[in-house]
Amino acid sequence: MYQCKDIVDEVNNYIDGELPLGKRVGLFFHLLICSCCRNYLQQIRSTLSIITVSKPKEDDNTDTKLLAEKLHGIYKSHQH
Amino acid sequence: MNFFSKLTSKNEQKLIQRLINGDQQAFEQVVSEYQNIMISVARAIVGEAFADEVVQDAWISAIKALPKFEGRSSLKTWLLHIVSNGAKSRVRRENRHSSLDEGWQAISSDKFDNTGHRYDDVLPWEEATPEALLANDQLQMVIEESFQQLPAQQRAALSLYDMEGIEMKEICNILDVSASNVRVLLHRARTTLHQSIEKYQDNK
Repeated sequence: MYQCKDIVDEVNNYIDGELPLGKRVGLFFHLLICSCCRNYLQQIRSTLSIITVSKPKEDDNTDTKLLAEKLHGIYKSHQH
Repeated sequence: MNFFSKLTSKNEQKLIQRLINGDQQAFEQVVSEYQNIMISVARAIVGEAFADEVVQDAWISAIKALPKFEGRSSLKTWLLHIVSNGAKSRVRRENRHSSLDEGWQAISSDKFDNTGHRYDDVLPWEEATPEALLANDQLQMVIEESFQQLPAQQRAALSLYDMEGIEMKEICNILDVSASNVRVLLHRARTTLHQSIEKYQDNK
């Protein structure tokens, strides 16, 4: 019998469809009877949607225009 | 077609041709599109100190190899493999190891009773689209801050899988970790970001 802690541990594998059938069905039955875990699953799904839209990036101060110019120069000189 | 923003293969072929022809704007487009994810991969493998150098070397190797690019993978995957290979050789030289457990704190077990049931109630979040939620600058800041504090390996796994839509097999090759370890990294990264958003929702 699966418990709330199992949902917390496996929620991401559950969402990504990475669990064996037996475990998936077991967690599904727990979700049917536990509103807290259904809400938790919904929160994790919302988190994923928020991340996908928000797209946080690495902190990187590279001047990409300058880097592109430098690479372009190297490419041109490499061709000759 | 998935929901990840990526260049279509026809557009990509055109872009590659423009690169090969030495079109400066194409160079700017590609560098601005892929520099950030390349830095992410390099930091995950070799660490902060050598990442900039590894990425710069990868760009130079890539543009020199450009005329030989056969298009067997997308330009993004090709660039990520170049930076990954460079970072892996650097790791071998520096003899550096990183731990999967860096910066990870599991959800406290005191949230559950001895049978594994929750003590506390979990309430549903307000029904709103991510776009509507993110219209609030404060939430965007919470996510940015929480993301920056994740260990580099978790940031890279999250960026590659959830934001760039790269297949698991490719991610394992790029980051040089097993699929089960990528899944651990993803779980930890998503859990941490969830906790930050939850805290923000509770304090609103």
